[in-house]
Order: sequence, then structure tokens, then C-alpha cells
Amino acid sequence: MSSNSWKIARRSNTQLPLVIVLALAVVLVLLGRAQASLFDRARMRMTDLMAPVLETVHKPVQGFNRWIGSIEELFSVYQENLALKDENARLKQWRNVAVVMQGRVQHYQELLHAVPDPAVDSVLARVIGRASRPFLETMILDAGEGSNVKPGEAVVDARGMIGRIYLAGDHTSWVILLTDLNSRIPVTIASADGKPTALQAIMTGDNSAAPMLDTLSQSVTLRAGDQVVSSGDGGLLPPGLPIGTVMGGPGAYRVALLADASSSEDVEVLAFRHPAETLPPTTPSQLPAVAAGLPPATATPATVPAAAGTAAPHTASAAAGPVSPPKTPLPQMPRAAPNISAAIQQEPIQTPAEAPDNRDD
Amino acid sequence: MGAQDRARLVIGAKVLSALLPVICGLLGVFLSNLPVTLFGSFVPPPLLGFIPVYFWCLVRPDLMTPAATFAIGLLQDVMSGGPPGIWSLSFVVAYAVIQRQRDAFAGLAGVAAVLGFAAAMLIVCVVAYLTTAALYHLTPLGPIVAELAITVLFYVPGAIVVGALHRRLVGPLRSEF
Repeated sequence: MSSNSWKIARRSNTQLPLVIVLALAVVLVLLGRAQASLFDRARMRMTDLMAPVLETVHKPVQGFNRWIGSIEELFSVYQENLALKDENARLKQWRNVAVVMQGRVQHYQELLHAVPDPAVDSVLARVIGRASRPFLETMILDAGEGSNVKPGEAVVDARGMIGRIYLAGDHTSWVILLTDLNSRIPVTIASADGKPTALQAIMTGDNSAAPMLDTLSQSVTLRAGDQVVSSGDGGLLPPGLPIGTVMGGPGAYRVALLADASSSEDVEVLAFRHPAETLPPTTPSQLPAVAAGLPPATATPATVPAAAGTAAPHTASAAAGPVSPPKTPLPQMPRAAPNISAAIQQEPIQTPAEAPDNRDD
Repeated sequence: MGAQDRARLVIGAKVLSALLPVICGLLGVFLSNLPVTLFGSFVPPPLLGFIPVYFWCLVRPDLMTPAATFAIGLLQDVMSGGPPGIWSLSFVVAYAVIQRQRDAFAGLAGVAAVLGFAAAMLIVCVVAYLTTAALYHLTPLGPIVAELAITVLFYVPGAIVVGALHRRLVGPLRSEF
């Protein structure tokens, strides 16, 4: 049989499967878009199975990287030593300032009866793999759901935040790095010169070493060196996690990350659990107004200006509805609001204490 | 060794030679997706799984079928962690193009052969990039260009290994199919 006739025969035989397989591939892409969790489960199972292999492979690679790194450092060790001594002296001064400030803040918090920050548990994990691909920047940790690691939790090292848990298997978990395309983190930008300004922004990864700062208004001007920390908006991440410093110019602000994900070996997974707020009781006798000895008022348009701004829509809907106020939860809010504002007016010292905690929520 | 044993051995060798291209492809995917980076995050891992696909699609398309290509792409999707199905689709599309232009690709030698592989990889990367941009978000071009370059760089040693396997294990059995 000549090679030409063989090729022609093969072509005719493979035409149908190729069309079917192409269609299957298109369906797979669309299915993956709609149901990504199917792939995620398969990935986690495979990573769990491969965990011993990854740990075995990672050790010599880690040794090789250290060896390469030590050769590079050999040429700059003297200059680096001088710079580190200088930095150490400055950091000691800042440490003294920080200790004094911490004591002062604690004292103020006690005076104002501030609500303490929610407790943050952490799990120490080791990096057993990392990968930088065109569509994903990730690292793999040796702790999974068996160690109470859950998707969404923040991953930090000694310097700052690295990323978030993306997938959690039984024994391993994938971290989506801050530099990854899919990473979006709500952040707060604090001025480097100590001014009490806190701008909100979204830090967006684009697979480059320095993520972008989005959703800043055009009029905002940042300065290089401004501190970027997690804002805690949405309640998924603890507020105040150090992330990096602002770099770049207007219109193209970026963040120089404090942590270097490519060299981190041991990381902490922060289990930030914001306690869910329970709804107020709905029985008429437990309503704040009734408990305060006031007669149950009916929701009328006249009460709207007295209520807090956020409660106005509820008042309007309650006024429009024919249902009597005590039987439904919505009309309870405008009656509670005047009491709260009255309480704030009587005790103005509680207002600043409440404000930061409300912002964090 | 009896005739029956010899027949079994021949059948075993045939099965092995038939599966070797797919095994090489899957092994390439496994190797390139070991989550270790020797040079930091600057160099992406090469798409080693595509080298056997390209090679055997040219020399033995009966062994590297569309279904086998799809399976290799699927493993790449599962292991790489990117958008699901992207590599399966791009591998199969590239396979379809290579298969249509097989005579042109198979006639290349030396540097032209490397350029031929680069053209096939370009199809893979363009399909992956456009699909991701259409269904997810527009990604920077740099990483995918780096992926293309590093894979083409690895094609030369990869083709030597795959060619040796083909000559020693797959090629001799070709006449028996």
C-alpha cells in the first residue's frame, strides 16, 4: 500500500470523529463556563492524590532554587548587610513608636467601649507547589479541609498577604495569588505621611508582578509609598492585612506587593469568621419602642423625616401597605430608628466608638 | 517460548505501541504541570503534552486520534487549573488544522520543522487566548507569548525523545497495522 493511499484512507476515517470531538470540546468549554465546580472537584481530587509526589518533587527544586539564590546573593552580601543594619536601626525606632501607639489605642478602646475585632484563627501550611501559567497564577498548600482550610480564606506570610484559598481538597488547597487575573481584593489606601485619609479601591491582578488599583475616582491623587491594606469590605477578609505600597502615576496606579509569593515556603491561612448578626425579636412585646414604655405608633408619612436615612424606604413601603405595623418586621424599623438617634444625641461620646466598627461591617 | 506466548507478546507489543503516543502525551502534560518553577514566575511551563500530539499526528495519525488529542487536552485543563476546556478545544482545533495540512507539515525538516511546530503552537495559543477573552476576560498577551516561545524551545529536545521512541517502539510495528 502506498503512503498516499494510506493517508487518504485515514483522512476519510477520521473526519467524523474529528467533528464530534470538536463539538465535544466546544460543549466542554461552555459547560466549564456554566459549571466550573465540576472541574474544580476533579482538580482537587487529582491534587490530593498527587500531594505525596508534589512534596517529593518540591524538595530538590527548593534546594536548587536556594542554591541559585545563594550564588546571586554572594555578590551583594556586603552592601545588603549595610542596608539591613540601617533598616534594622530605623525599624527599632518605629517599634518603640508602635508599642506606645498600641497602648494608647487600647486605652482609647477601653474608654469608648469599642467592640473588639473578631478573632482570627490561623492554620500554618507549607507550600508544596507553585505554577505560573498564562491563565492562572497559583500555589498549592499541604493543608486542606481536613485542617479546617476553606475557600475564600486569606493566605499571608510574614511580610503580607499573598492571596486567597481558591479550592480546598481534603489534604491540599490551591491559592489564587493577588497577581492572578481572577484576583479582586477590596483594599484601603492609607496616606504614607500620616494624614487620616482612607481611600477605598479594588486591587485587580493582571498576571504582572504589581496588581492594578481600580475604581478610584479620577480626581484622586495617590503618592508612591502610600500603604495598601485589606479593607474587609464584604466580610470575607479581615481588615487591615498589609498588602503593599502604591507605585505608578495617575491613571495607572499599581501596588508593589510586600510578600513575594515565589519565595514563600511557610504561610498562614487566616480563618476569618465574621459572626452573623441575629435579627431583632419580632414579637410586639419585645419591640424597642414598646419595651421603652411608648405606645405602639402607626407608621405615617410624618415620621419619615425623623427616621434615619437608611430606614426611609422601609417607612415608605410600610406606609403604603395596609398591614398593621406590629405584625410585620418592616414597619418596626422606623420606630426603632428615632430611639437610636435619640440615644446617640444623649450620649455623643459613643458615636466615634461605633463608627469604625460599623465601617468594618 | 511457545507459539501462544509469542503471540501474546506480539499482541502486548502492538497494544503498547498503539498506546505509546497517548501515554507520551499524558506524561508530557503531567510533567509540565508539576507545580514547580525552576526560574521563578517569569517562565511559564511548556505545553509538553502538545509535542507528542503534533509529532504523531504527522507520522501516525492512526495512533494519535482526535479522541486521544481531546483526552490529552482535557488532562491539561484539569491539571493546569485555568478556564475549563480551553486546552481541549485549542488542541483539537490545532489537530484539525495539522491533519488538513499534514503533507505540508510532514515535509518540513531542520529549522523549517521547528517553524512548523511553532505555527501549530500559534494556533493553540490563539484559540486558547481568544476563547478565554470571549468567555472570561481579556488577558495580557505576554504570558501566552511566553508559553508559545518556551514550548517551541522545548520542541527540539522533545522531538528527539519522541522520535527515538517512535523509531524504537512504534515505527517497527507500523507495517503490521
